[in-house]
Amino acid sequence: MSEVKTTEGAGKELLVFTESAALTLGVELEMQLLSPRDFDLTRGATDLLSILDYDNRFGDIKLEITESMIEVGTLPRHSVDEIGADLDGLRQVLVKECARNNIVICGGGTHPFHRWPERRISPGERYAQTFNRYGYLAKQFTVFGQHIHVGCASADDAIWLTQALCPFVPFFIALSASSPFVDGVDTFFQSARLNAVSAFPLSGQCPELRDWAHFNEYYALLKDCGIIRSIKDLYWDVRPKPEYGTVEIRVCDTPLGVTQAAALAAFAQCLARHLLRTRPPYNAHLHLHVARYNKFQACRYGLDALLSSPVKRGQEPLREVLSDLLDSLVEDAVALGCSHWLESLRAPLDGTPSDADWLRERYARQRNLNDVVRESSIRFAQEALMPIKEAKQ
Amino acid sequence: MNGWLAPLRAAWEGLQERLIFLPPFPDQLDTLALFSLLLVVGLLVGEWLRTRWGWPRVLGYVLAGTFFGPAMLGWIDFAALAQMRPLADAAHGLLLMEIGRRLDIRWLFRNWVLMRGTLSDIVFSFLAIFVFSYAVAGLTPAWAAATAAVTMASAPAVVLLVIEEANGQGQVSERIILHTALGSAAAFIVFAVVLGVVHAQYSADWLNALVHPLWVALGAALIAWLMSWLALVLARRLPKGSLAQVFVLVAAALLAVGVARMLSVPIFLTLFLTGAVLAYRDADKTLSYTNLPEGHWLLAIILFVVVGASLPWQDFTWLTGLQALGLLVVRAGAKLLAPALAGGSLPMEKRLLVGVGIQPLSATAIFMAFELASLYPEIGRSALTLAFFAAALMEIVGPLLCRFAITRAGEAAGEGNEGRNVL
Repeated sequence: MSEVKTTEGAGKELLVFTESAALTLGVELEMQLLSPRDFDLTRGATDLLSILDYDNRFGDIKLEITESMIEVGTLPRHSVDEIGADLDGLRQVLVKECARNNIVICGGGTHPFHRWPERRISPGERYAQTFNRYGYLAKQFTVFGQHIHVGCASADDAIWLTQALCPFVPFFIALSASSPFVDGVDTFFQSARLNAVSAFPLSGQCPELRDWAHFNEYYALLKDCGIIRSIKDLYWDVRPKPEYGTVEIRVCDTPLGVTQAAALAAFAQCLARHLLRTRPPYNAHLHLHVARYNKFQACRYGLDALLSSPVKRGQEPLREVLSDLLDSLVEDAVALGCSHWLESLRAPLDGTPSDADWLRERYARQRNLNDVVRESSIRFAQEALMPIKEAKQ
Repeated sequence: MNGWLAPLRAAWEGLQERLIFLPPFPDQLDTLALFSLLLVVGLLVGEWLRTRWGWPRVLGYVLAGTFFGPAMLGWIDFAALAQMRPLADAAHGLLLMEIGRRLDIRWLFRNWVLMRGTLSDIVFSFLAIFVFSYAVAGLTPAWAAATAAVTMASAPAVVLLVIEEANGQGQVSERIILHTALGSAAAFIVFAVVLGVVHAQYSADWLNALVHPLWVALGAALIAWLMSWLALVLARRLPKGSLAQVFVLVAAALLAVGVARMLSVPIFLTLFLTGAVLAYRDADKTLSYTNLPEGHWLLAIILFVVVGASLPWQDFTWLTGLQALGLLVVRAGAKLLAPALAGGSLPMEKRLLVGVGIQPLSATAIFMAFELASLYPEIGRSALTLAFFAAALMEIVGPLLCRFAITRAGEAAGEGNEGRNVL
């Protein structure tokens, strides 16, 4: 497991960025562990990991903050096809191992009806510290996200990309939204998961940063002021991950199936390449005025959101802006060999139900949330990765 | 007590001459009133044990029943016990149906280690108890088999209530429930066969010896199938998890009890099978999300106060006590050995904890023993003394062992990281 490296500079501890091949990818998915009896969350993570018969060939499977969650992470890969294969491999391993131990696994950004006080913090010093620090927020953090890592060749590139990706956060939210239900009710949000994240003091958008040295100054300031203890305390929407040599996009809900998870990775890879290649001007100061509003719009309305543009001084439908953006990424997708994945993201723009819509449609049909979760789990178990050739067609 | 009641009695009898509606002076507390007082005492003892020592509430109910029952203070006499028995039967039946509903047969086919473990538990437990009862306690083969049938399985009601109370979640809790449910199923089947063997020993009437077990097993299965079908047909028309579905569940259980009584088929076997068949046939999860209301804890109090009062401590002798202890030791060995030898990826410590968690022996054994003893009143009671005492001892220790297993496995609520680390 990689650890954050530090060095001494000007009497201060400085973070060292481990450089990696540009545009390599890694995906982490936080998954729900359920009881097959009523499809409520169950405390199964520690048991499952201790009896797992798996050799890490597709990546690792590890604990998360509470015992009803589990996190899978792919190996670092160059292509989305490889990421997709890893995710599908992890899916098959988990479905099989969970079935052997009478646990059910599924995707989605929130569990629709679990009671957060019943959650239990996972064993381990880090989780105990998180609980001590944040109290009940740690248990309410039983929400399930997808994190996408994009490799950066230099530390300064990582800081530039971290900021350049910020205006695109609403697209990642809208495309992955799969958490309309919380505490047994329809929240009227497409992605209610991020409301649990936003309670943390260092969540949201990163501040305006010039380069890696500036980031190190900022990091040292927060540490000296006792606000953070490590980089893991920064719950930013997009943040540098120095030990991996990546920029990590953290705003996506875990989709209901691995195909969408791979497609979101393709979107991140193409977008990162496009930004690093074209280096568009970015006014972080100006963007900060609309960032929270645009994020709220994406969480609340998903693809039907209206985005505010501080440059154009007006609002634009997210759906139209996203469609144009996907057009502009075609060249990068071809170069990266992931056009088929990127194209699959157009489906919800053309009327195919998004994951959040799918969950609501199931609820309208079943009239109870237990069955919604049951159907989600069946979908996760049975929805194999879309065959790549078929996707290309 | 009569001394200080004398003036009251005299005054009452004086009034009776003028007030014609007054009944005779009540010398004894009405059974219902007495029982309700006992329930409150049981409840208080259970809550005290839970708060003071973290022990299962069930233990408090049993102790209250034992203390006030015929064997000790005698406040509950046999007549009162007989009056309360239908309520206790209903409570026990509902809990057995619940454990039947938790039986996931398909899990066994997804994990053959469990099949091996549960079958070993059934075979080892029966053989160990049979051999001990026959060779050491000196029972006849038929009564040794009866003792083994009655005591081989874990106690569904205790296991269910202890796990529910601890909000146990995890592999040990799940496997304890699975072992208990399958062990109970096996015990019921063996019990039916043993009925035939006992008939054969005491009567030359082979027809009854053969047909009675079949009547019991097939009758219970048929009633269970019909009741589960009826419950599912009705429940499909109602919202899932609704109160109306709870009524359907309870009504199906009561109907099953009624029909079983009409046909002289064991109630507990019928209700357990009703639950198990319901779980197996409910592919659409029509009734899976419908749980018994919290009120089933009231039924649990009644059940365990009655069980505590039914324990035959008045017949206690040191010899039978020691024999019962010996039976429990060999039974414990079998139950620890079965999951330990079954293998699989679950660590050995947790497999042994499953063995500890399935040690309880309680209401099912007591009621089964009473049922068998009632068929042969002259000899049955003494022949089953060993089973009664084994159950009596484990009535006290069993809930503690089950609770220990779940807590030690780290599966009880509140045992997690947060409990120790909050500043």
